[in-house]
Amino acid sequence: MTKILVGGVGKVDVAERLKEIGGLEVVVTNDMDAATRLMAGQADYYIGTCHTGAGGSLGVLVGLLGAARCFTFGRGQATAAEAAAAVAEGKVAFGFSIDQIDQVVPILAGAIHERRRDG
Amino acid sequence: MPFALSYTAAADRLDFSLAQSLTVIALCALTALISNMALAVFNDGARPFLLDFIRGNTRRGEMTAVSFGLSAGFVFGLGAPMALSTGVLNPWLLFLPTDILGLLAPRRWLAPILGGAWGAVVVFGLSGANNAAHDLPVDFLTAMQEMATPILFLFLLFPVIAIASQFGRVLGAVAFVVEIAIVVISMKAWPDHFPGALAMAAGVLMLLGFALARDLRNRRAAAAPAPPKPADAPGAARIPLEEKADDKPAADPMASLFGANAERLRRHLPWFALLGAVLAAMVNLHIFGGGEATSFLVPKGDYGEAAQVDFYRAFGFLPLIATTALASGAFQIVGFTFVYPLAYLAPNVAVAAVGGAVLFSVEILALSYIGRGLTMLPSIRDASDHLRNAIGKTLEIAILFGAIAAAAKMGGGLGITLVGGLYLLNEAIGRPIVRLAAGPAAVVVAGIALNVLHWLDLFTPLKG
Repeated sequence: MTKILVGGVGKVDVAERLKEIGGLEVVVTNDMDAATRLMAGQADYYIGTCHTGAGGSLGVLVGLLGAARCFTFGRGQATAAEAAAAVAEGKVAFGFSIDQIDQVVPILAGAIHERRRDG
Repeated sequence: MPFALSYTAAADRLDFSLAQSLTVIALCALTALISNMALAVFNDGARPFLLDFIRGNTRRGEMTAVSFGLSAGFVFGLGAPMALSTGVLNPWLLFLPTDILGLLAPRRWLAPILGGAWGAVVVFGLSGANNAAHDLPVDFLTAMQEMATPILFLFLLFPVIAIASQFGRVLGAVAFVVEIAIVVISMKAWPDHFPGALAMAAGVLMLLGFALARDLRNRRAAAAPAPPKPADAPGAARIPLEEKADDKPAADPMASLFGANAERLRRHLPWFALLGAVLAAMVNLHIFGGGEATSFLVPKGDYGEAAQVDFYRAFGFLPLIATTALASGAFQIVGFTFVYPLAYLAPNVAVAAVGGAVLFSVEILALSYIGRGLTMLPSIRDASDHLRNAIGKTLEIAILFGAIAAAAKMGGGLGITLVGGLYLLNEAIGRPIVRLAAGPAAVVVAGIALNVLHWLDLFTPLKG
């Protein structure tokens, strides 16, 4: 199963939304731990949230994984195309603003599922 | 009359003396220069991206776009409405634009000029707009002072919300009862002071205590034989030892990244000392509130309360600032925000400036140790995430409630329809304005609308 690490300010809410959607293994953790696990191949994706959609969300991940592997929706909303493109480009760490959790999480989870099915 | 029963802010106007204006302009010039040198930015979200900029992998234009994208909403959606409604400056209004302008400037000498120009726009433009608004028949800025009471009296509960979301309902309920008891006792014992200060202190201490206890317990548990699949246990396997057996580099990549970045910041220590001095001097002039709640306390002259509120608020941001600074090699423009309480309380500008310089130097020198401590204590980092979430949640409710109260005061039922309606409209169209600022912004828009209606003879202002 696809393993998703969740961190940042709204991690409890994001994890709940992901569990409602289902089909993913969700682990609530933090950015430092997530960076270590992603680099070691122990997880597939990281989702972080904060007020800006990048600082507390992505945190050390940009430094450790490189900006090329990280993607921020910023404070804005996500479109399915945007999320699918980011996943297809090989982004593994996603950040967005906590007040967009209800909107972004289903779209992002959808994009990750899609990617999984296509192999 | 007791503080809790009679809390109304003074009807302040934004009138800056020449010395105050020049200090703000000088500070904005300096922060833009420091942003241009990629030594510090205010936006915690932009900071992680500075690493690639410092290394030369990101061009100035791209970096400016990232900074603008992450900051613009907070300038117009949080900083400007807060400043208009409180009559004091705030960091979002001053430092987010200087982040952007500093990164934008292609030549180093241009950065302080652009930054200083922004400072001038703020001091002169804002005071003009503010004073004009006070002279309108429907004075919505005075009505906005209804915000102060809900903000102060809900904000004091933020540690309780953080405890409940991190440690569950039992400890959450205990913290709630303890804080309320302290508020009740404080109101009885010191009726002239803000009763939330001691309660907040107790709440933050409880949260830190619970987090430390959990970390120590986990450390002892980790010392016992490890479970077969450590990656599945939340919080376990911080640095996977089993990975070191194969071709992975033996050195911890996080430690080496953090070490190099801390060293970069230490190399530029004099700049940070200067920044700390000018920042503390400006804050000491009492024309600036460092946090959401303090913006309502400073204009009232409650510096002691403001200092306490911002001191406890700092614990929510310390781990975030330390981590992003160590991960990027760029510091936070306002440091760990401890400069706010120091400068509110300093007896004069000179003491504040010296204190600010010393404080920033200490913060830079302590950065490595703070980072190491946070790696060892993951629950403390978690606690700060929950703290910031709780600050956001309590303020969201408080500010919405305050905005509705202000609406009722300036326009009765029609006011509530306008302000509540604008808030809901903002929600429905995807929240272009952050929730924290949607209420105040709606009050400003509704206030202007009510003045237009009054001018059209369609609305009679309520007499207060």
